[in-house]
Amino acid sequence: MKKIINKPEDYTDDMLRGIYTAHGNDVHCTADDLRCYCTSHKKEGKVAIITGGGTGHLPLFLGYVGEGLLDGCGVGGVFQSPSAEQIYNVAKEVEAGAGILFLYGNYTGDIMNFDMASELLAMEGIETKSIVGADDVNSNADYDKRRGVAGIFFMYKCAGAKAAEMGTLDEVLAAAQKAKDNTRTVGFALTPCIIPEVGHSNFTLAENEMAMGMGIHGEPGIWNGPVKTSKELAEESLDTILKDMPLTNGDEVCVLINGLGATSQEELYILSGDVASILKEKGIKVYRTFVGEYATSMEMAGASISICKIADEEMRGQIDKPVHTPFYCQV
Amino acid sequence: MTEIAINDLPSFFQSVADEFTKRKDELCEMDANMGDGDLGLTMSKGFSALPDIIKANSTDDLGMTLVKSGMKMASVVPSTMGTLMSSGVMTGGMALKGKTVLDASSLVLFIRGFADGIQKRGKCKRGDRTILDAMASAADKAEAAISADPQATMKAIIDKAVEGAAEGVEATKEMTPVFGKAAVFAAKAKGVPDQGATAALYMLKGMQDYISK
Repeated sequence: MKKIINKPEDYTDDMLRGIYTAHGNDVHCTADDLRCYCTSHKKEGKVAIITGGGTGHLPLFLGYVGEGLLDGCGVGGVFQSPSAEQIYNVAKEVEAGAGILFLYGNYTGDIMNFDMASELLAMEGIETKSIVGADDVNSNADYDKRRGVAGIFFMYKCAGAKAAEMGTLDEVLAAAQKAKDNTRTVGFALTPCIIPEVGHSNFTLAENEMAMGMGIHGEPGIWNGPVKTSKELAEESLDTILKDMPLTNGDEVCVLINGLGATSQEELYILSGDVASILKEKGIKVYRTFVGEYATSMEMAGASISICKIADEEMRGQIDKPVHTPFYCQV
Repeated sequence: MTEIAINDLPSFFQSVADEFTKRKDELCEMDANMGDGDLGLTMSKGFSALPDIIKANSTDDLGMTLVKSGMKMASVVPSTMGTLMSSGVMTGGMALKGKTVLDASSLVLFIRGFADGIQKRGKCKRGDRTILDAMASAADKAEAAISADPQATMKAIIDKAVEGAAEGVEATKEMTPVFGKAAVFAAKAKGVPDQGATAALYMLKGMQDYISK
């Protein structure tokens, strides 16, 4: 293992100390717990949006806390859920009188902890609603059992925009739901990543081997085999996505080409070009393309392709809305 | 014993912790045959931490004290079974909001609340071969006891709850696991009691020890 760290067990907290030092004007922690990550730009009367999940995916999850997006994040250890108490403490700090939307990925541990926090908040008269990202098509045929990966970005954008417009909790939830219903992702890995406290990778891929459908924690995919070309990967991924979410000639979409951590931007743009050509052939119009690292798996190499269909003009406006966080800026 | 005050809660749960310390190796061994092998450690670690957590978070509301303590206990044992047990403490506490003592009738509410919390958090149902099969059976017996005799003592209630949990454990021998790693070992499950259900029985036995003193 070659990593720029001190002690492996301090990976998450050392990272957080660095972030608070670098971005102290925008974010702070609460309850004397580094892992309770909150915006410093709280707005009274606005629905608070809180996310959470394990460390190892930056800019997911905490990187989307900022203006126009989210208000707080419970930070777990590497690939672990934050505790219910941490989520509760974040909620108490950022709640601004209009209720809370919990928006996070579809993982069992996260669900249990967010639900537990919801129940305690309900006892104190604070209303919460929950929705999980579940966009990874290859992770399960059943829509409700899919893992949440990079496509949660569109849920953040739409819900964040609606909350910034001072929408009600139900309206913010509906915006997130609409983005969820219209977003699908397919991902693939070329090399594994190493959990610092484990010290070695949980699985291996041979020199010229890749894993189609692998999850962002190294969950097994649908096939392992020789590395395919960018064009072939774009074709296979879009086939999978379009079978799951049919698009017709004239539909407009946003494309998100996400790097998993160790893949160069050059490669991501090669993939982006191939995705664009295929969509053009099919008569599908690309409204916006996002290319970069949106949901990573530490130093894993690989990428994911997310397609978000623009369902209506309101959603278009939400995706266009400028946002600003220490990790992500859209003008 | 007719009631347990907020100040007595730490010793009440210490008795549960003591039971789990005694049963640690046995539970780990049961779990190693069907799952991770850490169930005994999780139970003894979680319940051993609980008395101090309660002392640090006591309010004048017994229910809210348990709710907050259950949430903090979950941070100590973040595994699935740890979260389920902590959820049980928390939702058992929710059923006692506003109370200042735990008496026979509120003990029934606590046990039922505990079972309901596990069911909700674990999204499981009876017959799935889980901890719920013991807890729900315990709650049934405790409720029946208080209905039959509204003057029933705490001892009578906890005795019935332990009896119900033991029946629940026995029943899991014929159930097929559907959750977690146990589901992978489904073929080995026949004739063997579920380890989660057994853990619920030992928790209630720990409470029974305290109440019987």
